[in-house]
Amino acid sequence: MSKRSVKRFIALYFLIFFGAIFLRVDYFPLSWVPMYGYHLAGESVTASIGDKSERERGFAAQRANGERLFISADDLNVPNANFRRLYHQRAFNNGPPQDDRERAALIAFNRWWYETLVGPDPRLNRRYHMQLLDSVNRTFGYGPNDPQRIVRLEAALDHATFDRDAVASGDLSKPTIERRVAIITEQGGFLRKGDKIIPMPNSRERETVE
Amino acid sequence: MNSPAKSRRSWFDWFFFDWHPAEALGAVRFYFGLGLAVYLYYQFDQNLKIDAFGAHFAFTRPIWYFGLLGIDTNIPWISFAVMPLLLIACLFFAFGKWTKPAIIAIIIGIFYMKGVRDSFSGDVHHREIPIFAILILFLFSKCDRMFGIDARKKGWAPIENWEASWPLRAMQIYIAMFYFWALVAKVRLSGLDWFTGGGRIQEVLISRALRDGFTPTGEVVNLSLGWELAQQPQLVWFFGALVFVFELFFPLILLVRDWRIKLVMLIGAAIFHLSNYALMNVQFFLYPFVFVTFFNMAEFHRWLKSKVRLRRAAPAEA
Repeated sequence: MSKRSVKRFIALYFLIFFGAIFLRVDYFPLSWVPMYGYHLAGESVTASIGDKSERERGFAAQRANGERLFISADDLNVPNANFRRLYHQRAFNNGPPQDDRERAALIAFNRWWYETLVGPDPRLNRRYHMQLLDSVNRTFGYGPNDPQRIVRLEAALDHATFDRDAVASGDLSKPTIERRVAIITEQGGFLRKGDKIIPMPNSRERETVE
Repeated sequence: MNSPAKSRRSWFDWFFFDWHPAEALGAVRFYFGLGLAVYLYYQFDQNLKIDAFGAHFAFTRPIWYFGLLGIDTNIPWISFAVMPLLLIACLFFAFGKWTKPAIIAIIIGIFYMKGVRDSFSGDVHHREIPIFAILILFLFSKCDRMFGIDARKKGWAPIENWEASWPLRAMQIYIAMFYFWALVAKVRLSGLDWFTGGGRIQEVLISRALRDGFTPTGEVVNLSLGWELAQQPQLVWFFGALVFVFELFFPLILLVRDWRIKLVMLIGAAIFHLSNYALMNVQFFLYPFVFVTFFNMAEFHRWLKSKVRLRRAAPAEA
């Protein structure tokens, strides 16, 4: 390449890679580098408390024929880090971070091109838990009328909620601990919080920080 | 007197063409390639922590190009086959044998392994993005013309300084600006709230420390240092302020020629990545290998060889 060609190449290269930053593109191999940039301060901070042994046992499941079983990372042949996300996040209808931030605080032009070329805000139709159930059945090769198919998945997880003032003062000693169970059925998802069972939360903003 | 057009051209030449000698590009390729093999192995070994002939998991959220290609399940043994090929390609690239085809093989390998890793649960990680951008620059440069097996065997003529300098400078811009854009993204998304009090850092410290729960004695199972830090909001704020200053001013490294100053700045960046790993399990800790692009690694190579020779000679003399 001549110097002239190199100059053109460099201009094109940075036009593409840095243009993606202006347009807020976050599709590999382009990115506007948002990683941990999304922060929405609420009244409290809620985080899930993992339990390795519970996670290793896996999802409590039920087949259409009534049989009960556990479905683990080994059964699905999924790496542990990914299984943790499925168990802690997708089962509770929380999506990957890129979905949370993709449409947050967009300028009009970027909102226009996202809605025109990509589609609606992924936060408007969150059904991560249903994708999980579908994925489990497809992995095992169960069709929609198979009596072996999984019709119910459950993931149990403690959640710690820290008061914002306590977080601000650094006192993490007295969180409110709540046992939550994500219940995913063919009819939809539910969340058991203590004694209450409510429809799976579907709000735009997630409650649990990741 | 120079016309404005001429002085603009001169500035461009000074910035891109007059920075590194010809020997630097091939040596950077060598050390970058070796680091890349380790880095990519560590990024993708997760794909190998499953049964090669076990269940074909149906991805919950395939990455965009898997979606286009219709790849919606994981066939585990393919990852076991791709990984050694990827590492071999990195070594070919490092040693300058079939360099350009090796770069293309690495890029394809990254796309595949990343696609698999990120499609299980849909979290798309950013750890391969700068690597791809740098590999594109190697691909369009004359990085194979020096400091490699093909260059030696085929007796290629040395390249000119400017031909080695521009790709390295472009890599440096990309790497340095990556930090700056990360700061811009924080401000675009969250404003200065990101830094207020403990801000986002404190939330991540808490959530990461609780990932694996508590021991029977009430300690967090992992990341105890992060858990301790989360209870020191002033300290978290201080680190947040450091991140702000670091990401804002890091691009100044592009104007530094003295290798010692660059080394100090890059050690600071490496500490940033290592701290993120130790405190929050952010898996960028091997990323500092890309910093070889900031130095004349041919000089380093000569220095290393002389040290090795001295060490070998010492016992003989004794």
